[in-house]
Amino acid sequence: MLKNYFQIACKVYMRRKLFTAINLLCIVLTMVVLLVVTAILQTTFYPTGVEGKSERFLQTGTITQSSKNNTMRSPLGYKVIDQYLRKMKTVEKVAGVTGPESVSVYQKDSVNEIMMRRADAEYWQILDFKVLSGRVPVEDDVRLGRFVAVINESTAKKLFGHEAALGKKVNAGSQHFEIIGVVEDVMHLNAYADMWVPVTTFPSSQYRDQYTGDFTAMLMGKSAADLPLIKDELLQVVKQINADEPSHWEHTYLWADGKLDFFARNILSNDEVAGSGAAQLLAGVVLFMLLFMLLPALNLVNLNSGRIMERAAEIGVRKAFGASSRELVKQFVMENILLCLFGGVLGLIFTKLALIWLSNANLVPYMKVDLSFMVFVYGFAIAVVFGVFSGVIPAWKMSRLDPVLALKGTA
Amino acid sequence: MFFHILKPIWKRKFKNLLLSLEIMLAFCVVFGLALMTTRYLQLYHLPTGFEYQDVWSVRMLSPGEMNPKNDPAVTENFQRSLAALPEVEQVGFINYSPYSNSTWSSDLYLPDSKSEYHVNMTEMADETPTLLKMKLLDGRWFSPEDEGRPERAIIINKRLADSMFPGKRAVGQLVSDTEPGSKKAQLLRITGVFEDFRNKGEFMVPTNFSIMRFSRASEERRMETVLIKVKPGTSRAFEEKLSHQLKLIRSDWGYRISPLKDMRQSRIKEDTVPLVILAVIAVFLLIMVSFGLFGVLWQNTTQRIPEIGLRRAIGAHSGHIYQQIITEQLLLSSIAMLTGMVLLVQLPLTGVLGEAINWTVFIVATVISMAVIYAISTLCSLYPAWRASCLSPTQALHYE
Repeated sequence: MLKNYFQIACKVYMRRKLFTAINLLCIVLTMVVLLVVTAILQTTFYPTGVEGKSERFLQTGTITQSSKNNTMRSPLGYKVIDQYLRKMKTVEKVAGVTGPESVSVYQKDSVNEIMMRRADAEYWQILDFKVLSGRVPVEDDVRLGRFVAVINESTAKKLFGHEAALGKKVNAGSQHFEIIGVVEDVMHLNAYADMWVPVTTFPSSQYRDQYTGDFTAMLMGKSAADLPLIKDELLQVVKQINADEPSHWEHTYLWADGKLDFFARNILSNDEVAGSGAAQLLAGVVLFMLLFMLLPALNLVNLNSGRIMERAAEIGVRKAFGASSRELVKQFVMENILLCLFGGVLGLIFTKLALIWLSNANLVPYMKVDLSFMVFVYGFAIAVVFGVFSGVIPAWKMSRLDPVLALKGTA
Repeated sequence: MFFHILKPIWKRKFKNLLLSLEIMLAFCVVFGLALMTTRYLQLYHLPTGFEYQDVWSVRMLSPGEMNPKNDPAVTENFQRSLAALPEVEQVGFINYSPYSNSTWSSDLYLPDSKSEYHVNMTEMADETPTLLKMKLLDGRWFSPEDEGRPERAIIINKRLADSMFPGKRAVGQLVSDTEPGSKKAQLLRITGVFEDFRNKGEFMVPTNFSIMRFSRASEERRMETVLIKVKPGTSRAFEEKLSHQLKLIRSDWGYRISPLKDMRQSRIKEDTVPLVILAVIAVFLLIMVSFGLFGVLWQNTTQRIPEIGLRRAIGAHSGHIYQQIITEQLLLSSIAMLTGMVLLVQLPLTGVLGEAINWTVFIVATVISMAVIYAISTLCSLYPAWRASCLSPTQALHYE
């Protein structure tokens, strides 16, 4: 039966090539837009590569302190990371790193503005940077406060052209660093920066005593199963922080989240409740996608309902021979889904091209988004949803044709 | 004529309903884009109230303090040492730089009433307003003569002056930044009214703005930013020299130097990103809609060939057919857009989006989006109409 439907569908679609082409074009355009968005979300929420261990670590970036009518949100201070988070029993490693901040790098005749982070040694163990030459800082570099720096590929090219960057000295924000490593360009929440230096190179050691500052922390467990334990223990630790903090706020909140939760909490600013609102965020994304599909789907409905008339004779014959309305609806929706799936495959190809273009166009620095297996799955799902979305109304209209009129061709 | 055309449209109401729904959605998308673009253009042409050319901003970060204290000696030292550099024309303190992401907003009160005015604020030293070439409308800028007075000097923008003192002269009036009756009420004396200070740049929505005087000698908190007016033509290479000079004054502070020109550039880029994304999506949707419309019209005319043949047979010539098909499409689009307008006109009427939608913007956006939809409808019906009008009556009548 399916084979028959398939053959009919192919025949119908080949008969009017122009309309099939228009249909396909609409489907492909919709798919490309939706798939590019999906691919970007997928890389953000489930990264591979440098933040590939993200299912094993939680991150925390904001400490919220509140009293009656005063609330303060701020990135973490290093004291919280060093004195509290590092002493937790359930974590394997804790890394602290500042947010990327722009610094000026002075060279003989030029000044470059680059993004710099100060990181501790664990940062390099939790994140898997691809080292192109040299090495990344180790425990000793950080402990002794050596003025060493790691830069990424593009920055190396920008600062030194074709010369080897290793061993060169740079003056960043009037501090002098020796370059010990070059890593690949990356664009991820925790990994993005142009230059990394040890946290101990701060001009003063005041950062060690701060509860709020500009750090974020990553807490890595031995396996993904440890993460709920870490969250539980963190609740106790936060109570301790609240008790020790000299300004005596009534409440202190600090949440460690997985990638998706982390974004959801930041976007929805759920700073004072345990739930991150990830479900809300996902529902919003899905709703937006459906809304975006509405216009192309209506378009397809209009095109399809026009084509029914061309097939009035066929429908009349099938009805006269006893096909039920349900079978006809099924057939038509199937045909539509088939076309959408084909459009989906084409869409995937164009999405790939669009992503290559996006990565090269440098709209977002260092962004590398690629199609993953999950994006294929989502693409398939989007195509089916779109097919059903746009096929049901014309199919339902078609099935209501009166067979007598349909056979006469005057319906 | 009108009803003649309306009749065939009504005859096929279900199909036309879906079609007009599609046109309406497309109209809403174009309208959204047009609205945003017009609003941005409108904002872009309003005066920002200051000049960014040849001004550099230096952020001075001292490690560790939340509310850094003002040390008069150090502040004075900054002022003098920086002004002594040959490339520097003027130096002025401000608590946060124009084009930065910071905002400071507060409420101002008239001392004798409870009514409060929400304002954006900043603090500036005496030199800063002239450094930024701000326009003074009334009164005077701050000056050393304000030093030591019981009321702190403040200047406000015209918008705030008009709403606080309608019909009165604002200069010389007293306002308070704390609720009247509270213990530590501080009075502020308005010394001047300036045109505007849209410190977030060209796309900032005009707001009430007030600027308090920062006194280098007696203020408790220090300013985080110093603005430097450099001689025209000073290159970026001056930055290293400047940085060196700053380090000589306080070596333990961090300095972030950037010309306002660059900050403005990245600010504009940041502000226009949503517009660009919306534009890309809208263009995609419009391409799709026009293809769809083209296909539907083609199919419709094909189905109506017998009808067209009949009209030709009883004397209508091809121009009439042409006209009929295009008019029908335009009429359908008009109906769809009217429905859309009924929904969209609620935006300025209810004022949900506040000042973002004023009537000028709304009308311009309506005209633009109507023009776009009419253009697309006409373009898409040209070829099907031409095809239909070319049929000879005999062919058309025999068509099956």
